[in-house]
Amino acid sequence: MGNISRFAAVNTKIKTLEGEFLLAKDYRNLLEQKSIADAARYLKSETAYNEVLENIDVNQLRRSTLESLTKQKMLINIDKIIHYFNGDYKRFINTLYAKYEIIELKAVARAVFNGMDTKPFRNSVFIGKYSKVDEERIYNAKYIRDIIEAFEGTAFYKYLQPLLDNNIKENLFRFEMVLDASYYEILQKEWEKLDKHDIEVLEKGQGIMADLLNLQWIYRGIKFFNLSPEELLNYTIHLGYRLNRNFIKQLCYSKGLEEFYELASQTRYSFLFKNDQTTDIFMERRLERHMYFELKAVERDNPMTIITTFAYIVFMDIEVRDIISIIEMIRYRMPEAEAEKYLIKALNGGE
Amino acid sequence: MPVEKMKIIGIVGSNSDLDKVARLVIMNGNMHMLNAVSELSNNCLELKASEENIDTMKELADIKPYSTKVDFSEDEKIIKAFHDVLNIKPAVMRRHIDVSFNYHDLMENLKSSYVAAKDTLEKIESLNNQIELKQTYIQNFRYAKIEDLDVGLLLNLKYFDFSLMSLSREKYKKLKLNYENIPSFVIHLGVFDDNDIIAALTPKQLEEDAERIFTSLNILKLDVPIGYTGSTTSIIKVLQQEINEMRSEIDELKSAVQLSKEKYGTVLAECYTMLNLEKKVEDVKSEIAQGKNLFFMFGFVPVRDIDKFHYQFNSVFQDKVVLVTIDLEDRKYGHSPPTKLKNNIIFKPFESLVEMYGTPAYNEKDPTPFFGLSYMILFGAMFGDLGQGFVIFAAGLILKYLMKNISFGGILSRLGLSSMFFGLLYGSVFGNEEVIPHLLIKPMENINVMLISAIALGIVLISISYIYSLINLYKRKDMEEGIFGREGVVGYMFFWVLILLILEVVMNTLGVPIWIYVAVLAVLLLLMVFKQPLSHIIKGNKDLYEDSPADYYIEAGFGVIETILSVLSNIISFIRVGAFALNHVGLYIAFATMANMMSSKAAGIAVLVVGNIIIIGLEGLIVFIQSLRLEYYELFSKFYSGYGIPYKPAQINSSEDR
Repeated sequence: MGNISRFAAVNTKIKTLEGEFLLAKDYRNLLEQKSIADAARYLKSETAYNEVLENIDVNQLRRSTLESLTKQKMLINIDKIIHYFNGDYKRFINTLYAKYEIIELKAVARAVFNGMDTKPFRNSVFIGKYSKVDEERIYNAKYIRDIIEAFEGTAFYKYLQPLLDNNIKENLFRFEMVLDASYYEILQKEWEKLDKHDIEVLEKGQGIMADLLNLQWIYRGIKFFNLSPEELLNYTIHLGYRLNRNFIKQLCYSKGLEEFYELASQTRYSFLFKNDQTTDIFMERRLERHMYFELKAVERDNPMTIITTFAYIVFMDIEVRDIISIIEMIRYRMPEAEAEKYLIKALNGGE
Repeated sequence: MPVEKMKIIGIVGSNSDLDKVARLVIMNGNMHMLNAVSELSNNCLELKASEENIDTMKELADIKPYSTKVDFSEDEKIIKAFHDVLNIKPAVMRRHIDVSFNYHDLMENLKSSYVAAKDTLEKIESLNNQIELKQTYIQNFRYAKIEDLDVGLLLNLKYFDFSLMSLSREKYKKLKLNYENIPSFVIHLGVFDDNDIIAALTPKQLEEDAERIFTSLNILKLDVPIGYTGSTTSIIKVLQQEINEMRSEIDELKSAVQLSKEKYGTVLAECYTMLNLEKKVEDVKSEIAQGKNLFFMFGFVPVRDIDKFHYQFNSVFQDKVVLVTIDLEDRKYGHSPPTKLKNNIIFKPFESLVEMYGTPAYNEKDPTPFFGLSYMILFGAMFGDLGQGFVIFAAGLILKYLMKNISFGGILSRLGLSSMFFGLLYGSVFGNEEVIPHLLIKPMENINVMLISAIALGIVLISISYIYSLINLYKRKDMEEGIFGREGVVGYMFFWVLILLILEVVMNTLGVPIWIYVAVLAVLLLLMVFKQPLSHIIKGNKDLYEDSPADYYIEAGFGVIETILSVLSNIISFIRVGAFALNHVGLYIAFATMANMMSSKAAGIAVLVVGNIIIIGLEGLIVFIQSLRLEYYELFSKFYSGYGIPYKPAQINSSEDR
C-alpha cells in the first residue's frame, strides 16, 4: 500500500485531534483554579475533555477519578486513530498501548509488594488494553508472583517467567525492569514488519527517546542505586539512535559521576546535566521537553509516515501527564509561578 | 409484522429469598434483565403511601447494587477433573434443576462422596506433573542441541557450577558486548523460538557475582535432571522410558475409577447443572438492587408470557414476593425495551440477515417479511435457473438438516426455490434454454425489456421502503422528518414527481409542460431545506433552529444535492438486477461455446459440468452479495435504523433440548 493512501486519512484525523490540544492559555487558566472541582469544571466547559466529563458531577469528583478520566480521553483518542489502520500497522499501534499499561502495572505491583490496598488502582485505564490480561487477577494479587501468573498466555509472560525463581527480595525491582525491557523488545519486533521508511523514522524517533532514557538511567544508577556496571549495562534500552552500544558501555563503566559528566558532555544531550541542584529536580522535565521538540522535528521532516501517529500518542501522553501534575499542584496548593516550571509544556515558548 | 410486545415486571422480595427468585427467573427463561439500580433512579416505583408499604419505601432510600462476587473456579476445577476421569461429557439437565436446593451442601456432598476417587485423582495429577517435568528435561536437552555430552560429569564438578539458560536475543547481544567482564565461561548453543540458549560454567566462588549479572539479563534457567549419569543421549533414553511407565500407570488408575461411573454419574450431572445455574444466578444478581432487607429486580417479559410468569411465582412463593407489572407507556426514562422478532416460518431464516444490519428498535416495524420477499425476488430474478436453483435448494436442505446450520440453510433453500421459479419463467435448466419452454421471457432475446423491468421492480421496492419509513416516522411522531424530511411525505412526492418527469421527457406520457415538473420539484426541495424551521413554526416552538442557523443551512444545502443524487442512483442501481440476469445467460454461453469446441463429446460434457459448478459457486455468491447490497444500501437506508437491542432472557440451555 502506498504511503499516501495509508496515511492521508489518519494524518488528517490526527491534525483534527491535535487541534484539541490545550493551549498555553488553557494551562494558565487551569493553574489558576482553586479546587479539583473548579479544574474539572474548566476542563468540562472549555476543552475537549468534556467528552469524558459530560455525564460526571464535577462537584463530587475525586482527584484519582479525574486523573483516570483524563487518561480515558487519551485512550478514546488512540482508539479513534487505530481504526484507520489494519494488519501489521494496526498491531504496531496496538503495541503502543503496552507502554501505558506497563506504567500502570508497575504502580499496582508496587502496592502489592508493599502490602497496600489495590483498590485505588481499580480505575486504571490501560491495564489489559494491550496484554488482554484478566484485570481482576491483577487487582486481587497478594504477591508479585500472582501478578506474573495472571499474565500466563500473554505477550509479557515470556519475559516475566524467569522471575518465578523464588528470589522474593528483588522481585519488585526486577518486575519493573523486565516489563520496561519487554516493551522495547516487543515494540521493535512489531515495527520490523512495517515498511522500510517507517522503520527508519521510528528508529530515529524512538531512538532519541531511548538515548535520553539511557542517560537518565545510567546517571541515576551511578548516583543513587550503586549498581555494578554490568547490571547497569544490562538494563539499558537497546534502541539508541545517537549513542551507540559501545558508548553506552563506556558510560556504564565510568568511574564516578565526574567521568560520567565528562562523557555525557560530548553528546548532544549535555543540557541534561548542569551539575548543580537543578539537575535532579528538572531532569525529567528537560528530558520530556527535549523529546517533544526532537519528535516534532522528525515529524516535520517525514510527512506521510507512521511517525505522525507515534508522535501524537507521545504528545497526548505529555498533555495528560501535565494535567495530572496540575491537578496535584492545585491539590497541594503550589504557587502558580512555581508550578509552571514543572510542566512539560513550555508556557512561555520554550526554555 | 410488529415485534413482540413487552412489559416490565418488577420483583420485590426479602433478601433471604433472593437466590430462589433468581433461580426461578432463570428456569422460567423469559425475563430480559434490566439494571435495577438505574431503573429505580430513573423511574419511581409507584407505591401507595400506606402502612404496609412503609418498609419498602424505607428500603428504597438506601439501595446498592449487589456486589459480592462468588468464585466458582475451585468447584469448576473439581467437576472438570471428575468429568475427565470418568470420561463423561458434561451436560446440563433440566430435570436436575430445583429452586430450593442448597448449592453449598450439594458441592460438599460431591466432594465427600469422592474421597476414595480423590486419592487416585491426586495420584494421577502428580504422575502427570512428573511426566511434564521429565518432558521439559528432554526438551531442554534438545533446545541445547547437545548430544553425547557427559552432563553427568559437568553437574558433579566440585569447583564449578554448570547451568543451561535461555534469554532474549537483545539481552544476548548485551552479554556478548560485555563478555570480558563476566565471571563465567559462556557457550552459545543455538537459537530456539526467538530465544538464545547458552550454557555457562561458573567457578563456585564467583557464583554470586555471576548470578546478579545473569539476573539482570533476565535469563530463564532451564532445568537439568539431577542424579543421572552418562551422555545426554542416554539420559534422554532413560527419561523416555520412565515417562512411558508412568503413562501406563495412569491408564490403569483411570480404568479402575471408571468402574464407578454409574454410581457417581447422576450426582455429577446434578452438580454440573447446578454449577451452571449458579453462575447464571450470579449474572442475574449483578443486575439487582439491594436494600438492607429487600431486593429489587426488574426485567422485560413478553406480554404473552406474563401470565405464566405470575403463575410460576405464585405457586412457589405465594405472597412472599411482590410482582409489579409496569406498562411501557407509564415509563418515561431508562433503557428501551429489547426486541423479540416474531415471524412466520417462511421468513424466519431471513432474520439473521436483517440482524447482520441491526436489530429493529422496539417501536420500529420489523422489516424481515419485506426483506425476505424482496430478497427472494431479487436473487431469483438475477439467478433464474431451474437446475442450478435446485442444486442451491438441495445444498440448503443439507446445511439445515445434516450440518445443523438452520438459519443459513433455511435462507439457501428458499433462495433455491425462488431461483427455480424464475428458471421456469426464463425457461432455463442448468443454463440450457432449449430443454423446457419459457413461460414468460427469454432474457437474452429481450435485453431492453429485462433492464427496464429491473428498474420498474426497483421503483416498486423503493416505493415500499418509503411507505415503511412513513409508518416508522408516524409511530415516532416525528413531524420534522415525517412530513418534510427526505424519507418523509415530501421526499416521497419528490421521488414520484422525478419519475414522472423522466417518463414525460422520454415518452411524453401526460403532456404536462416540463417546467411545471421542475417547479414542483423545486418547491419540494425548498420544503426539505426548511424542514426544521417549518416544523417548529407548526408546533409553535419559539426557537426555529436547534443549533446555529449557519450550520443548519450548510447541512441542508448539501442535503439537497444528496437527495437528488441518491434518488437517481437508488433507482438506477436496480438495473443490475436485469444485468445479472443477462450475465447469467452470458456466462453459460461462454461455457457452451467452449464445450462445442471440444473434440470429444465427453470432454464437452465435462466442460459444461465444470462450467455449471463455477456458475453456481461464483455467480451464486456474487448475486447473493449484490442482492444484499441492494437491500441494505438502497432500501434499508431509507427506513431502517436497526438500533434495537436483541431480546436475551436469562435462561439456561439444557442438553435435553437439543
